[in-house]
Amino acid sequence: MKEKFARWDILFLQYLKRDWKKIIIWILGIGLFSAGFIPAFKELAKGDGLAGMYETMLNPAMISMVGPTPIDSAADYTLGAMYAHEMLLFCGLVSMIVSLLHVVGHTRKEEDLGLTELVRSFQIGRQANSLATMAETVLINVLLAVVISIVMMSFNADTITVEGSFLFGASVGAAGIIGAVLGLLFAQLMPNAHGATGISLGLVGLLYMGRAGTDASNADLSMINPMGWTYLTYPFTENNWMPLIFALIFSVIVIMIAFVFEGNRDMGAGYLPEKEGRAHAKRSLLSVQGLFVRLNRGAIIGWSIGFLVMGAAYGSIYGDMQTFLQSNEIMQQMFTQAEVSLEESFTSTIIMVMVVLVSILPIVIINKLFAEENRSHLSQIFSTKVSRTALYWTTVGLAIFAGVLGTLLSVAGLGGTALSFMESDTPMGMKDFFVSGFNLWPSVLFFTGLSALIIGWVPAAGKLVYIYLAYSFILNYFGGIVDFPDWFLKTAIQSWMPEMPVESFDLTVFITITAISVALMVLGYIGYKRRDMAEGV
Amino acid sequence: MTEVVKVEGVQKNFGKAKALSDVTFTIKAGEVVGFIGPNGSGKSTTIRILLGIIKRNAGNAEIFGKDVWKNSLEIHKRISYVPGDVNLWGSLTGGEIIDLFLKLHGGGNKERRDYLIERFELDPKKKAKSYSKGNRQKVGLIAALSVDSDLYIFDEPTSGLDPLMESIFQEEVERLKSAGKSILLSSHILSEVERLADKVVIIRQGEIVETGTLEEMRHLTRSTVEMEADGDVSAMADVAGVFGFEQDGNKATFSAEQQHLNEILLAAGKLDVKKFDSSPPTLEDLFMRHYEG
Repeated sequence: MKEKFARWDILFLQYLKRDWKKIIIWILGIGLFSAGFIPAFKELAKGDGLAGMYETMLNPAMISMVGPTPIDSAADYTLGAMYAHEMLLFCGLVSMIVSLLHVVGHTRKEEDLGLTELVRSFQIGRQANSLATMAETVLINVLLAVVISIVMMSFNADTITVEGSFLFGASVGAAGIIGAVLGLLFAQLMPNAHGATGISLGLVGLLYMGRAGTDASNADLSMINPMGWTYLTYPFTENNWMPLIFALIFSVIVIMIAFVFEGNRDMGAGYLPEKEGRAHAKRSLLSVQGLFVRLNRGAIIGWSIGFLVMGAAYGSIYGDMQTFLQSNEIMQQMFTQAEVSLEESFTSTIIMVMVVLVSILPIVIINKLFAEENRSHLSQIFSTKVSRTALYWTTVGLAIFAGVLGTLLSVAGLGGTALSFMESDTPMGMKDFFVSGFNLWPSVLFFTGLSALIIGWVPAAGKLVYIYLAYSFILNYFGGIVDFPDWFLKTAIQSWMPEMPVESFDLTVFITITAISVALMVLGYIGYKRRDMAEGV
Repeated sequence: MTEVVKVEGVQKNFGKAKALSDVTFTIKAGEVVGFIGPNGSGKSTTIRILLGIIKRNAGNAEIFGKDVWKNSLEIHKRISYVPGDVNLWGSLTGGEIIDLFLKLHGGGNKERRDYLIERFELDPKKKAKSYSKGNRQKVGLIAALSVDSDLYIFDEPTSGLDPLMESIFQEEVERLKSAGKSILLSSHILSEVERLADKVVIIRQGEIVETGTLEEMRHLTRSTVEMEADGDVSAMADVAGVFGFEQDGNKATFSAEQQHLNEILLAAGKLDVKKFDSSPPTLEDLFMRHYEG
């Protein structure tokens, strides 16, 4: 015991010191996100809001996204019931993923980087690092649970009870601990941190989808799913603490298994064999284009699936949209404009939101070029006849392609699902969805161009584009509720374009923004040709 | 002989910091030039300028008579480069990366590649993320040595390689040398430079402080003499060209200036010499002088 965990307490304190900023952001971020929407939900609950929301939430598509509720009549659907129903699963999921990434990052990742080797050469037990990291993560989740409970109670809202608040917080914390133990387990089984992160995130995704199926058919079956042990506590309604006891037992067992696995393996080794790769490259890899497609393949596929699912998820709402909109004043204000059908109004807003999210992928791809440069991956390529022109335009081209693909998939997902969920008497067809989506496509191109410009001149500032994107997202999302002055709205690029299908297409705007975006790319190219490559700076 | 690389008064600033203040040297066709200097003296910065990765602030730099910034692509067709820290894509295998580099360079030789993979004992099927530093370095070396170039630029190429692999690398460099290729070899392994280089360029704090053949450099510096004699060796202390004289009974150690060698030998001749060892300065001696400043 002493040999294994010696002086873990020193590491533990050291880690708290090392991570204190991250811990504060973590706890406040997830804590406020989990508890802070109560006032907004209070607004939603006014009038017939609760009943309308209850109807909407009976839609199996919604249940598969946010989980079930134990309530079986609209009258019992209180603010607390609604809040737990719509928020808890998602908050738990986020908490789970953050804890998981933290644990893998500080166990297996450090092992891969050679840090563990150094630490173990001191008078530190072989497994002290894992124990210290787990202790840190558990402590963070306990604090998170307390913060969530206190913030929730501080709103003094009806039906947000003391017990329910503590249970809600504890459920989010328990989700984090489950994520942490899964991360630790796979950190032992897989040959490296990359594999451990991938497999454990994949498992979390699988558990989420698994519970989507069982929730929609028979929620009792979700009780055999570790993810079920978080949201099936039903805070503010049934206040069932049992699932948390399952979560606790599960965590203790998994953590012990993980420690046994760690104790029996060599540092740097795993249990699952590493797949042998190719001795020679496939022809498709052997070009700048091939290389960059390969480097971005994972991101493009992952995000594409995300876009499709996102579109489908929003599309599934169309069925119950009318109930939902009619019962809710704020939402009505947001979506209803004169002489326009609800579907069309809803579509224009949703497509706006989706297209903002689609813009993330091109920014990711363009920033990847700088990340590659900065990690000195391109040193040997710079010294071949491959030109900067080729590197730049390959990346920009791929980003443009990803923007088109993302727009296409999200709109197809939205339109396809919406049309199948809606009653037959809708004025909209598939073509309307595509036209509305691609009407906003120049804004995606604009973000591509903006990223390209920055990568060409001040590459270190590449991430600033995300901030502008977040800014324009918020502006567009709340622009319908709050009365902002026009010039202010126009600081978001999407606001320049007509909101189709509500408004009609404007070719001049379409062409102008496209042209500006292309100009930004060309300007970026001029900078990229001229500047010093920044290797390891 | 034509000049393959010609660097004249090159300067480079990073913001306010002066990385290179005056770098001047040449590499002639078929010449192997050792490029040495302490850490942070500007070796890699110079090489990056030569490769057109960063832009110089002043001076001239040409390879094959072409400007290294404006005509970099023309130049790159005929050069190969191995950085001191080969960073690879973790998700690709070593074999895939070598093939990619060959393709992007153009004119790779498949048999040579397979031969080198075998000689360097690299497992090409492993993902690059599982490679050690030495194995990553091998990937860079195999890719560079499998293509036919006129100028090879190696920036501390053997860092992380074991002595066996290091000697394979040296054999390969000798092969290139006998094939008349030009080589710029930046290295901290001075025995390697001593063995391979025709000419040595020493850089310190962004400035070239010494260039020339090892012979020339040795000529300019003092040899170390150890002698033992029946006569009184203290007489040697006053002879012209003797420095740092130290005596231990009838043994003496001192440095001898080359141009006074005759006087020193004449003086020693009178002392009934038992033993007289003169060793030329090693590159390490030369180098230490610059390290210590």
